[in-house]
Amino acid sequence: MRDSVVGQLIWKDWQMQRVPILITIVWGAAALAIAPWGGVNNRVVGGVLFFIPLILMGHMLPLGGIGNERKKQNLAFLMSLPVSFIQYTTSKLISSLVIFLIPWVTLVSAAVLLVEVRGVVPHGSIPVLLILSLMPFLGFCLITGATLVGETEGWGIAANVLCSSTYGLAWFFMTQVPSLMVPANGAVVVWNSTELLILASEIVVSLLLLGLTYFLQSRKRDFV
Amino acid sequence: MSDLAIELSGVGKRYKYFALDNIHLKVPAGQIMGLIGPNGAGKSTTIRIMLGLVHQDSGEVRVLGHRMPTEQVAAKWDIGFASEDMRLYESMTLGWHMSFMQRIYPNWDSAYAQLLLKRFGLRADQKIKGLSHGQRVKATLLLVLARKAKLLVLDEPTTGLDPVARHEILRELTAVMAEEGRSILFSSHNTHDVEQISDQITFIDRGRIIDSMDKEMYLDRWRRLRLEVPHGVELPALPGIIGIKRDGRLAVATANAYVPDLAHAYESTGARVQRVENMTLEEIFVANVEHSREEVEA
Repeated sequence: MRDSVVGQLIWKDWQMQRVPILITIVWGAAALAIAPWGGVNNRVVGGVLFFIPLILMGHMLPLGGIGNERKKQNLAFLMSLPVSFIQYTTSKLISSLVIFLIPWVTLVSAAVLLVEVRGVVPHGSIPVLLILSLMPFLGFCLITGATLVGETEGWGIAANVLCSSTYGLAWFFMTQVPSLMVPANGAVVVWNSTELLILASEIVVSLLLLGLTYFLQSRKRDFV
Repeated sequence: MSDLAIELSGVGKRYKYFALDNIHLKVPAGQIMGLIGPNGAGKSTTIRIMLGLVHQDSGEVRVLGHRMPTEQVAAKWDIGFASEDMRLYESMTLGWHMSFMQRIYPNWDSAYAQLLLKRFGLRADQKIKGLSHGQRVKATLLLVLARKAKLLVLDEPTTGLDPVARHEILRELTAVMAEEGRSILFSSHNTHDVEQISDQITFIDRGRIIDSMDKEMYLDRWRRLRLEVPHGVELPALPGIIGIKRDGRLAVATANAYVPDLAHAYESTGARVQRVENMTLEEIFVANVEHSREEVEA
């Protein structure tokens, strides 16, 4: 064995998803570039445009990279290689996470930096920015799990619709919570218990979803 | 490793509307086994169990000496698998697929891969989505063959191909066997293709193996006897005769264990044997399936 087959599967996914990664970063960067110029309108437009590529990446990556492989019958080709199904799952989880997190970390870091350096919005909004940014990650974990475990396009689409409709609701409820909104307009970053609880919940639920996906995949007996 | 490339013993797999029942199958190393069955007979399920892609509910599976599905990773290093429903990545070129396989398999033979490209009339720089069905099948087989696997498992590889493409592929598979110790399991519902290259043939129907033996033995043992039967004469049920179809004075008896004494036995009842005909593999297959179904329904 020259290289690990799991490594080769991850490399293959990376090769296939380079263009979406690039598009996501360029789109997000363009949105961040818009935000500092002009007035409130530009900040709102820039802010909305900033989240769209993160959400799209979180949704399209599992549907395209995992769902399409099954739908377009590439999975039989992959499973003819010397890998077990759990190794295939491992490669998919790692490659999807890496491919999602590269633009996510790049863009979210850039956004935080922009707030810190340029003061486009009050510094106090950084916790809310992180809470909002973790939502596409949570959605990505749910859709990835549903697409891998569900095996049919329907499960992935259902998770996709659920997440899409939840983002709007979650953002609306966040605006109703004073312990989030009041410090968000402050000049300094305040990490209160509500913000930390929401951030921790997002991270824990995301990890649980990935763990559950791995567990359910390991119990399967029929793969192709 | 034993001298069996594949060994299935008492393998069962139950689905809601289909069951694979007590499958026993042995493929000796260095042989080509043709697995013939109608659509939905269980060929693909059997093959997927062999590869560890589907776990059997009961029974034992050994492939190249590895227990399946637990040792599937070790086994798959030496198995080249292609199936009719397997697709390569449409947006990538054949060359990309070749280098992907080359990075995985130490036995990848680049010179042979280039030779196959030429023989199959393929271009490495062409994207898979631009290939015809026949070219896609050839591209998949190129990837399987250049790995130099000890065992090739091919699930309906010639389905939907034109006669020229089928001939090219069958010729290449026959050439593979020139290397000692390599084995092929070849499933199809096209008996003509299987007959051309197989040493051994197994018939499967409705989840059961109904017959399995050397190809020449099938052709030797199966015969059709055309009889003229006088009015009032009843044809006896003779051992080796699996079915008689009678239409007035004419009857056709199908034998699965033909010996010349069968003809004499009919003549002794007053019937006249007009002809004893050889049967093609397709006729043997159909007769075998019909007989098996009658037995199950009886």
